[in-house]
Amino acid sequence: MRHLVVVFLILLLAAPSALAQTAGAAPTDPALIEKIRKSNAECLGCHTEAALKAPPRDGMDLLKLKTLLVDPAAFERSNHAGMECKTCHGQTANEYPHREGLTAQVSPCGECHAQKSMRIEAQYDASIHAKRLKGKFTCQSCHDPHLYKVAAKLGEPSEIVRQDNAMCFDCHESDLKFATFGDTLTPPKRRPDLDDIHEWLPNAKLHWRAVRCVECHTPVSPIKSLALSHEIVGKDKAEKNCVACHTRDTELRTRLYRHLVTEEREKLGFANSIILGNSYVIGATRNAYFDQFAVWSVLLTVAGVMGHGALRVFTAGLRRLLRKS
Amino acid sequence: MSERIYMLPFWLRAWHWVNAALILVLIVTGGSLHFAQPDLPLVPFALAARLHDIAGVALAALYGFFVIANIVSGNWWQYVPKPGGFVKRCLVQTRFYCWDIFWGRPHPYPPTLAANFNSLQQIIYWFIMYFFMPILLLTGLMFLVPEWAPQRVLGLDGLLPIAMAHTAVGLVITLFLIGHIYLGTTGLKVTSLFRMMITGWHEH
Repeated sequence: MRHLVVVFLILLLAAPSALAQTAGAAPTDPALIEKIRKSNAECLGCHTEAALKAPPRDGMDLLKLKTLLVDPAAFERSNHAGMECKTCHGQTANEYPHREGLTAQVSPCGECHAQKSMRIEAQYDASIHAKRLKGKFTCQSCHDPHLYKVAAKLGEPSEIVRQDNAMCFDCHESDLKFATFGDTLTPPKRRPDLDDIHEWLPNAKLHWRAVRCVECHTPVSPIKSLALSHEIVGKDKAEKNCVACHTRDTELRTRLYRHLVTEEREKLGFANSIILGNSYVIGATRNAYFDQFAVWSVLLTVAGVMGHGALRVFTAGLRRLLRKS
Repeated sequence: MSERIYMLPFWLRAWHWVNAALILVLIVTGGSLHFAQPDLPLVPFALAARLHDIAGVALAALYGFFVIANIVSGNWWQYVPKPGGFVKRCLVQTRFYCWDIFWGRPHPYPPTLAANFNSLQQIIYWFIMYFFMPILLLTGLMFLVPEWAPQRVLGLDGLLPIAMAHTAVGLVITLFLIGHIYLGTTGLKVTSLFRMMITGWHEH
């Protein structure tokens, strides 16, 4: 019984530090931070651009190292900032020489993100990536855990667009990267040119700077408060109705701007005024006062000329009658 | 018995009708884009955007032709309001449209070879062609290269003032068009002025 109590107490004491790590929350305990800093410094001693230029050890496979670099500054800005490399790469990851197959042995994301994974799984399974590349596509195929930051934390829509579209362009604008997946298909699939397949879309390049690929290449989330779906769809199912976004009740409110839009719908007469801080979106960011003025001025002008015309017809008839009499 | 004079050269008539067709396309597509609504599509959005771009660039080119042809032919002089009772002539013309026309009285200033336009036409056409059209075309062309627009204006997207000016001038042109077409019915007969714009012969 005493042993059981001791084990329970050890678990109880160890839990907070373990949770701080596994939940991905940045640790606050100074001792733990120092331990992580030292541990990560061991890894970053080799796995950075600087170390590649001045290798700290002799006999390193620099070609392989070149493919395994991390930008420490970008990592510190990412969602996983403050985490220990070993949390994902294994407790013996910093032993050198590394054991065989270390690169492939990364903890599955679901180990920490269990709840999110459960929700995403069904959406992802229906996606074009899962259907065409079953077993070859992982979270990291898109989300670089050393760089990725969730939209709500990035805040600025242009930053969100830049980060998220870079994930798609990484493969879809590189023949080499696309081929790593495309060549595994039968028959192999060559990368289609993005400009060609988006020829129908007016100002395609402007769209790619202003909104994310996933605004159109994911279905509308059935629950508006939920983040974007992970069901990436191909061209057949992608949104082609421009008015989904280019209208007063724009879907951008529940997509790119969902974390900025609260109750605010109109300011100084501008519908979706929160979007105006970033982009003027035809049809969506129009001004209600101007629109009312425009509609009324057109209606009154038409009514005016019709009234004038009717009066001309009436007086002409009257003049004819007067002449006859 | 009515008189006929050949008043409008071919280039002017051709410019007028191509200009009119482009303006109509731009109003319909521009309205479709600005008032885009899923349940009320006048012209499908993507098609409207393409047509608006093409017609807009064509109108800009046509405007260039209009300015050059006006200079070369000397037709620009017709648009210049002439001194010596200009305001009075405008008031007389206004009184004609508001009152005299209902009593079947003749136009106070019928067009001549030397003066195609009455004073009211001169001032309105001058503003439309040399003030509003350049604004409309420049702001429209800016939409084609939005990266040339300022990044930010008062914390909002720099394209906003350009878009607002474009839409507002688009409205002015729309209102002008309604009035212009209607006043086209005020010739000797309802169709006289339309026929003049096709044949070049004015009947009065």
